[in-house]
Amino acid sequence: MDTLVNVAHGLGVALQPVNLIYCFIGVFIGTLVGVLPGIGPISAMSLLLPITLSGTPESGIIMMAGIYYGSMYGGSTTSILVNIPGEAASVVTCIDGHQMAKQGRAGPALGISAFGSFFAGTFALIALMLVAPKLASVAIAFGPAEYFSLMVLGLVVLTFLTQGSMAKALLMACIGVVLGVVGLDSITAQPRLTFGRIELIDGIGLVPVVMGLFGVAEVLLNTEQVIKRDVINTKITHLLPSREDWKASAGPMSRGTVLGFFLGTLPGGGAVISSFASYALEKRLSKTPERFGHGAIEGVAGPEAANNAAAGGAFIPLMTLGIPPNVVMALLLGAFVIHGLQPGPLMITQNPGLFWGIVASMYIGNLMLLVLNLPMIGMWVQLLKLPYNILFPLIILFTIIGVYCSSNNVFDVYVMIAFGVIGYFMRKLGYEPAPLVLAFVLGPMLENNLRKSLILSQGDLMTFVQRPISAICLAFAFVLLVAPLLPALRKKRELVALDEEV
Amino acid sequence: MNDQSNVKIRLNNSELWGGLIGLALGGFVIWSGLKLKLGTINDPGSGFVLFYTGILMCLFATSIIIAAMTEGGPTFGSRWVNTRWTKPLLVIVCLVAFSFALNPLGFLLSAIPLMLLLLRVVDPVRWSLAIPIALLVPLGMWWILKRLLLIQLPSGIFEIG
Repeated sequence: MDTLVNVAHGLGVALQPVNLIYCFIGVFIGTLVGVLPGIGPISAMSLLLPITLSGTPESGIIMMAGIYYGSMYGGSTTSILVNIPGEAASVVTCIDGHQMAKQGRAGPALGISAFGSFFAGTFALIALMLVAPKLASVAIAFGPAEYFSLMVLGLVVLTFLTQGSMAKALLMACIGVVLGVVGLDSITAQPRLTFGRIELIDGIGLVPVVMGLFGVAEVLLNTEQVIKRDVINTKITHLLPSREDWKASAGPMSRGTVLGFFLGTLPGGGAVISSFASYALEKRLSKTPERFGHGAIEGVAGPEAANNAAAGGAFIPLMTLGIPPNVVMALLLGAFVIHGLQPGPLMITQNPGLFWGIVASMYIGNLMLLVLNLPMIGMWVQLLKLPYNILFPLIILFTIIGVYCSSNNVFDVYVMIAFGVIGYFMRKLGYEPAPLVLAFVLGPMLENNLRKSLILSQGDLMTFVQRPISAICLAFAFVLLVAPLLPALRKKRELVALDEEV
Repeated sequence: MNDQSNVKIRLNNSELWGGLIGLALGGFVIWSGLKLKLGTINDPGSGFVLFYTGILMCLFATSIIIAAMTEGGPTFGSRWVNTRWTKPLLVIVCLVAFSFALNPLGFLLSAIPLMLLLLRVVDPVRWSLAIPIALLVPLGMWWILKRLLLIQLPSGIFEIG
């Protein structure tokens, strides 16, 4: 009953005209960046982070969330029609989705992808509504030791799932922590690593770092090659899947939804790993696995449901524990912090309008996306024909303006350009930026909780292993750290590693 | 003899240099932590986390260096094989030039040439399209920000914009 009252309260917030507009802008931009290869939700969210300042916290967060789950819908369109993933979570959709399109079945592929996304998104929201308040009430008992260990686990899981050398990913995470603690020490007020620059007293801004590492670096990488797009030109018909298509897709969609939601809630997990896991599961369960790779609709339905469920599930650790499980959620945390809000166990009770408003808006956003992605598919197909040599200068200009507007300071533009160049060379040398960004956001919290735990326990390091939740997190993190040393586990890690370069 | 024992330490091994840069950064972070004072385990100081993070950085960097020396690694050149490496270089040059021009010239006088250069240097867009885009997009953005959102972009010494 309480949940229904809260949902009604949330709908009251989400249905306010201004929030509806922000929600629409969010899902529209999300679909747009999902459709356009070369720009992902991270770039778009970092670009629009400053705009959240102009409205209420609800409006800003509603828009940012819309970009994230909107991009999950949009990414599949490009995968199916062009065989280029619009964003990383749609890589798997290329395999069977594009084959279906080549066989003249682009309509059913797009249709099942949109319906699967809607179904999974809705399930994830219902689960979020039921799980989040319960988990938040448990999380109130968490002390600094638990928070510290959870953050360590989150960082280790992300480095474990990052493609390439784990030592490199861990080195990136350490650099992220160091960059995160630049500025005044929150306990002693002593300036750290500011090199006498007044602009660094408040620390390095999240917006220029993320825009540089993901926006500018991505553009630099894309300019290295000629981006060719072989768009399917036949008319797209039969967007409503047939009875046979539904029958074949129901199981993969349901399994993908549950699997995606579960993986999405884990620290370091997310949409990319969920879609890969779902594809592997469906291929293994199928009686005719040889059809996979040649246009099997199950290979579209499962992964598309999984990545959307994961996008919803990822909100749980952020909303209930205040810990972002992935980079996208770290950006959302940035949006909360910009508004002076701290997501965590107390937010649901102290600020119910915000929490339930965001949840309700996501349901409305999912409905909007269904309309945007099916009847308006023609518009996105036209957009796919926009040449990249016109698009990339616009992206660069928007990133410059976005960074400048976030602080009204030219210094941040310099920081963004510097991180853009650093990010480009990092990627070329096989260093992924995702662990750095997550550690950059978690760094100050990690440090605060570590120091608080040590002060409270009077320097007793056993406090981290005497508390059960903390001990479990650290034990799991330890297992993941030593896992790459074992050849069998190393192979498994390579199989599930995220391809951040897409 | 197995393949591993045949690996020679090559100075143009990009993995080796990546590790060395990491090691140098780790050393710098340790030094910064020590300078800021570590405090005690009961009462950690401002440099406590930096110091131990620096040590971890050195450990991970050392493991990268050891892997580079024992297993080898790609050369710098191989990282850019079959790519149009001059294109990102040109974009970087444009961005650096823009960052130097932004404060003295202001947003409009620096953004318009930047757009024109970016539209022409990578995969040249024809002039009849490049010029209107380079003019109209920065002007449009400037108008939206200044008139609608009341955000003042840098106007430079000529106070244009």
